[in-house]
Amino acid sequence: MATLTIAKREFKSYWNSPIAYVVICVSLLLLGLVFFNLNGGFFEANRASLSLLFGYVPMALGVVVIPVITMRLVAEEKRSGTLEMLITLPVKDHQVILGKFLGAWGLVLTLLFATALYPLMMFGVWDLGSLDSGPVLTAYLGLVIFSAAAVSIGLFISSLTESQIIAFFMTAVLMFVLHLFGTIIKINELSGGLKEAISFVSFNSRLADFIRGMVNLRDIVFFTTITAVCLLGAFWALERRKWT
Amino acid sequence: MIEARDLTKRYGAFRALDKVSFEVKRGEVVGFLGPNGAGKSTTMRILTCYLSASAGTAKVHGHDVFDEPLAVRESIGYLPQRAQMYGEMGVLEYLRFVAELRKIDSNAFKKRMGEIVEVCGLGNVLGKDIHTLSHGFRQRVGLGQALLHNPPILILDEPTSDLDPNEKAEVVDYIKEIGKDRTVVLSTHNLSEVEAACARAIIISRGRVVADGGIDDVRARGGRVRYVVSIDEKRVLESGGTYRENSSMAPKAGQVEDALGGIDGVLSVVETPSDDTAHSFVLKGTRSTDLRAEIYSLCVQKGWLLLSMNREVQRLEDVFKTLTRGDDAGARGRTLADDVDEDEDFDDEEEEAREDEGDDAEEEDDDDDRDASEDDEDGGASDDDDDDPSEDDGKKK
Repeated sequence: MATLTIAKREFKSYWNSPIAYVVICVSLLLLGLVFFNLNGGFFEANRASLSLLFGYVPMALGVVVIPVITMRLVAEEKRSGTLEMLITLPVKDHQVILGKFLGAWGLVLTLLFATALYPLMMFGVWDLGSLDSGPVLTAYLGLVIFSAAAVSIGLFISSLTESQIIAFFMTAVLMFVLHLFGTIIKINELSGGLKEAISFVSFNSRLADFIRGMVNLRDIVFFTTITAVCLLGAFWALERRKWT
Repeated sequence: MIEARDLTKRYGAFRALDKVSFEVKRGEVVGFLGPNGAGKSTTMRILTCYLSASAGTAKVHGHDVFDEPLAVRESIGYLPQRAQMYGEMGVLEYLRFVAELRKIDSNAFKKRMGEIVEVCGLGNVLGKDIHTLSHGFRQRVGLGQALLHNPPILILDEPTSDLDPNEKAEVVDYIKEIGKDRTVVLSTHNLSEVEAACARAIIISRGRVVADGGIDDVRARGGRVRYVVSIDEKRVLESGGTYRENSSMAPKAGQVEDALGGIDGVLSVVETPSDDTAHSFVLKGTRSTDLRAEIYSLCVQKGWLLLSMNREVQRLEDVFKTLTRGDDAGARGRTLADDVDEDEDFDDEEEEAREDEGDDAEEEDDDDDRDASEDDEDGGASDDDDDDPSEDDGKKK
């Protein structure tokens, strides 16, 4: 109950400031430009597939959008002092963390589902070909749980500092590194345990399965575990104020 | 209602609270006084379960702050220092948010809002965003959210800081009004507010309770009285029994000061600023004597024109100054090393405390090292001061 109240407030507060509008508009605009123009784009590829779209979304989400959304969650409240007001109300610390997580994740999901305009308009309204809807659905499923993990990472980092800027950069860099594994570092050129390890933590290779239309329980468990661990970490960081 | 026993809070080697014990009974309005950094906010944060004490216990409304934080928070209304609220929210929206978290249903909320709007004077700002409000109104909204669930206990941390004098007076009035039927603990370093609103004062200095009692008791603790005397600067008694302006005979400030200081029983004389018609002085004497007659006859004897004289029991401010002396911003809280050097009678306890923390008794050798490291920690723990280690060192020696 308290969790939902906090989540609701958090979600609304994005719409009270320009953040939500800017993030959603700019993301959709950039996504459109990239999708239709970069490397020849959608029409050059000449296939009724959105895999090109899903190739860009996780990177943009993880490295820019989610850090922007999560950077203020706890850091800003600590800096401005509103956290004390919130925590001294009859709420438990884990409700605060969960509420904030749900609020921020809610905004990311809103953005994510706004991108569904692409398949709906392209293949529903303008009929640009017959879309194989299976991979699109699994890709969205993958992005949903991927964004949960990314938001919880951002929330955890935000709860460690009082500075939004630091929270933003740390989250962005961490997400970038996690994406780097598997794109810039070519996994196939490596061998043995290192290859195994890198492809294990790589967000890209995890998401690649979903985009190809495979739902792999291991991937789901991977992202869910990251989410749970980071939420616990954020909870611990919030509790820490009592003792230090 | 509130019962604190030996509350201690350490930040590393820095001791923000040192065995603070006090009790607040139902219906009392208590002023929690102390200079900045004395431990007022820390105490309040422990009472509201925002922080945990390193040692000691506290009970609020019968609930232990450590074991039942939610029950404690339900029974108190808390206004933190500077009352930070979500600026982007509207006043009504924010109060509704707080009400939801306090599980007040919407009917009860509407009814309660009527009372709150009246008591806190929020009628004109309900629709406004919080960040557009003045400090005074923000403070009122903060009071409003603290009163929303009609709590038996109200804890207000510096409710009047950052306010202009009119707003301060208003807030003090609200507190008086609110304090009629509930327990209020209010922290401040503004003494006139305590005198205006509270029946009892607890003075805390460097993490310790140094005075606790009714305002008059606390005021009497200094055991001093003050005399405020002003003497005409130009006119003196001339032959014929009239007072005339006479520049050659007119009393000089230094002369008067020396003469007043010469009276038996005067402990100190301080000149206070005044306009250029009179010299004004504040004298201190002991409570057991009354020096007014002596002061008057001195003036008569010298031919000075006494314009006014007032004997008053020492102000709370003076007691406060005496009790918290040396508590400047550079030395917030105390380090363990400070304790040992300052008060002999705490020596034994401090030794124990140190041993508890794993510092053993072979001190002489590593004393300096530890002092240095503690100075560092001191600087780290105090957040808004320009810590001067040399000052600390000087004090230790």
